[in-house]
Amino acid sequence: MSRRAPGPGRLLVYALVAFVMLVYISPYAYMMLTSLKPPEDALAIPPHILPRQLSLDSYTRFTSDAEVPRSFLNSFIIALMSTTLAVALALPAAWAISRYGSWPARVFLLVTLVTRMIPYIAIAIPFFALMRSFRLTDTWLAVALAHVTISLPLAIWLLAGFLEAIPSELEDAARVDGCSRLAALLRVVVPVAAGGIVVTAIFCFLASWNEFLYALLLTSVEAKTAPIVIAGFKSQYSLNWGSMTAVGTLYSLPVIVFSLFMQRRIVAGMTMGAVKG
Amino acid sequence: MKKLMLLLIALLVLVTGPAALAQEEGVTLRVLVEGGGISLQLAAAQLFEEQTGHTVEFVEVPYPSVFEDLAAEMATGGSAYDVATIDVVWIPAFADFAESLDALITDEVAADIFPALLADGLWNGSYVGMPTWANAEVVYYRKDLWEDPDEQAAFMAEYGYELAPPTTWQEFTDMAVFFTRDTDGDGAIDLYGTDVKGAPPGADVEWMVHVLQAGSPGVVLGADGSIIVDNDAHLAGLEYYVSHHCDMGLTPPNPLEIGWAEGESLFFQGVTAMTRFWGHAYRLHQFDLSGGLVGAPYLGPDAVANVGVAPMIAGEAGIGSIPGPWFNIVPKTSENKEAAMAFVQFMYDQNVLGVQEPLGLSARISAFEQFAGEENYESLSALIATLNGPQTIGRPLVANWQQVSDEVVVPMVQDALSCEVAPADALAWARGELEAMGFM
Amino acid sequence: MSRSDRRYVLLLLAPAAVFLLVFVAWPLLNLFRDSLYEVALLKPGERAFVGLDNFQRALTSSRVGGAALRTLGYTAIALSAEFTLGFVAALLFNSLGRRSELLRTIFLFPLMIPPIVAGLLWRFLLIDNFGIVNHILQQLGLLASTSDVAWLGDRDIVLFSVALPDIWLTTSFVTLVLFTGLQNIPVSLLEAARIDGADALQLFRHVTLPLLRPVIAVVLIIRGIDAARAFDIIWVQTEGGPRFASEVLSMHIYRTMIRYGDLGFASAIATLFLLALLALSLLAFFVIWRPDAARGSA
Repeated sequence: MSRRAPGPGRLLVYALVAFVMLVYISPYAYMMLTSLKPPEDALAIPPHILPRQLSLDSYTRFTSDAEVPRSFLNSFIIALMSTTLAVALALPAAWAISRYGSWPARVFLLVTLVTRMIPYIAIAIPFFALMRSFRLTDTWLAVALAHVTISLPLAIWLLAGFLEAIPSELEDAARVDGCSRLAALLRVVVPVAAGGIVVTAIFCFLASWNEFLYALLLTSVEAKTAPIVIAGFKSQYSLNWGSMTAVGTLYSLPVIVFSLFMQRRIVAGMTMGAVKG
Repeated sequence: MKKLMLLLIALLVLVTGPAALAQEEGVTLRVLVEGGGISLQLAAAQLFEEQTGHTVEFVEVPYPSVFEDLAAEMATGGSAYDVATIDVVWIPAFADFAESLDALITDEVAADIFPALLADGLWNGSYVGMPTWANAEVVYYRKDLWEDPDEQAAFMAEYGYELAPPTTWQEFTDMAVFFTRDTDGDGAIDLYGTDVKGAPPGADVEWMVHVLQAGSPGVVLGADGSIIVDNDAHLAGLEYYVSHHCDMGLTPPNPLEIGWAEGESLFFQGVTAMTRFWGHAYRLHQFDLSGGLVGAPYLGPDAVANVGVAPMIAGEAGIGSIPGPWFNIVPKTSENKEAAMAFVQFMYDQNVLGVQEPLGLSARISAFEQFAGEENYESLSALIATLNGPQTIGRPLVANWQQVSDEVVVPMVQDALSCEVAPADALAWARGELEAMGFM
Repeated sequence: MSRSDRRYVLLLLAPAAVFLLVFVAWPLLNLFRDSLYEVALLKPGERAFVGLDNFQRALTSSRVGGAALRTLGYTAIALSAEFTLGFVAALLFNSLGRRSELLRTIFLFPLMIPPIVAGLLWRFLLIDNFGIVNHILQQLGLLASTSDVAWLGDRDIVLFSVALPDIWLTTSFVTLVLFTGLQNIPVSLLEAARIDGADALQLFRHVTLPLLRPVIAVVLIIRGIDAARAFDIIWVQTEGGPRFASEVLSMHIYRTMIRYGDLGFASAIATLFLLALLALSLLAFFVIWRPDAARGSA
């Protein structure tokens, strides 16, 4: 089946797939191309697809402003904090669920599932009030905690799937060697599940990196994340597509490139969540 | 469980602790502003820091977030902000939370502020907001077209009077008709006389300038809170505004996708010959040619060189526009009230510095007049004339104006601009909605 | 399971449980409490207990009802488009077998794009007068003029238009999950059916689809919940307009709570939204998917 020369049917499939790909990529490609136009051309009427001349002005226009780099740093730190916290909280819970499927563990799995179904807007305002009372608004921690409410159910769900693949004999063997159960989890199970943990971490990171609503409500200046800054380029009095496309590209391109390298693992994680449930 | 809570709290303290310890001798004032507010007050704030030893930390947020942040802050009794620079429409919402500024607004101060602005900062007989700058919609037109001798001659031949920036409804319409044309002969119109806005922000306010010009004592609601949205002036104003789109086809299609930002872009991209837009844009784009402004769309020298600015047109009752003043307020929850008051006073004293900034705005008559004749400040005289217009009146000061605007005004304008609902019917619908909201 | 086992399980669950109690359950309790009061966002101290009045108001409000219907409509549009396109793409990839790996890698990229950027980008593509989409359609001769379709200004199609970035972003998720599901179908089963004389269509209907059912169900549920909760991706495109034609429930709650400051009423709508979403997704979960059965078979 694999060594035959491609027949006409196969060629049609290739052509179809190539066309779908082209359509699929074009919006993003157009955004990148627009960011390379001189800023005054970004909104030209009628629009042109290719830049009439290449220019980095849309990128250099905000290098004098600390806001954009700072927002990138904020997004990065918040994503790291929330990822660390989510994985640290999720790992023992997921182990309890997949290793000891007792009723508290099952109930807990259901609770995380229910958490996944809550509309963000329902939590946002009371969450804001809670952060207020801790005097935490506009800090990295407040946004990170908010993002953990999103990523924790996801992390538990994913990790439970990954840990299920680990034979319980592994833990038993470690315990025979004199480890406590917690030590067995940390020293034996975690290294074996490292691949799954990395995938989970990637998903938690992405959830935080791209989040908008909580960041909008919880930050004002110190902890303002990049999505908020990007949204600000469409303000009351002006459309600033040049800067929007430039910052949008800068913010998403590194993640896209990284994800291409991690492709297999990410697909494994995504399908793990859904296919294995 | 308890240990975990303790651990959590310890973690919180660890992360936020250093910030709390960083207080030095002078007070740090946190000032909530929108992008425009920061640029107009930055220079003065630096002077303030040098002269007082206090530190000013601007908290810059997008336009809607100013209201939302402050609202959320007030909701939870927070004191994150010592001063907030707010749009006039939010004054009623925050008036009860703002310190009285009566002590700062002496007769001398009041005399130098545009009267419409001063009135907007007054709440229950006490000044709660110090005007920081004023803006108003004026008429932008394509100088290259208006100064072209061929166009002037053709216009004279057709209409019997000189082609000059429009001053009345009739002139505005005539010129919009005159310039609506197919310039490249492909059978499709590619230059429109003007535009209308059907998307917020823009759809909420722009049509109202004509309501005022037609002689209405206010817009939507009267000074006593009564419904005036279906009076004769509202009908005349809305009919005039809508007719350019629905009856005469003088505007780019699909106005429900066009708000202020889109309207400005269409004008500067050469799609419209005239546009109604806020007075700050002229100086902003002049300035941008030399500087490279963060956040402003760069237009290039050609587009900027062709821009002319004229006062807002007049209806039967004279020039009228909606002023867009902003105010400094001091939240009652501020922990640094003394310094905050000093800051507000200082911003008034140094108000002229705002005129030299890219946005080029001020609240003081003397500050505007000082620069009005100078190069790159050509738009100021149009702005002064508009702000002093007899029918330049602020939006009604009701606490739920945002709701009135979102739920009634914008849908009503969108109905009218869809050309499927007659202006009179749209206004009648608006009255019904307002009555349902409890207005009389 | 021994007693010490049970204690150990509780110990393992405790950190995550405490977190969810403090940062999810407690805010939710506050939401429920506020829903019983007449209370303004700006003055949380002045509250009057009104019982279920806010709920009665919400259930009889045409604005809330309209937003609920549009939420359903938006979810249906996004879900059916993502599922159809995603399934077709998955079948294409599957027929290419392992050679589709590079293509699948490329296909992954929109998942990494922040929804806010996607929303703004599509507004930029679609907006009349400026947008490239109508320009290209006109060049291809499909439109007489670039203003013939007002993607974001026409009440009749705007709900479809604002779903485009969502479809663009997440079709790849649907594709990749379904692709993996297809790859997991044992070849021997397909071969056996083929030997029995089944044609391609019969194979698909009687072998592939039934085996794929749990995967399809979970994809629909996950994506359905996310589409129903959508906020930022629509907000940056239209703010719910024109004339509320693209206003979904999340947005109506946000507007009522933040812009109008009506905390009590907004909390009641949010509570109803939460309960409806929970009920619908749990129903879907237990009726269609049956987690235990799926866990056993996959």
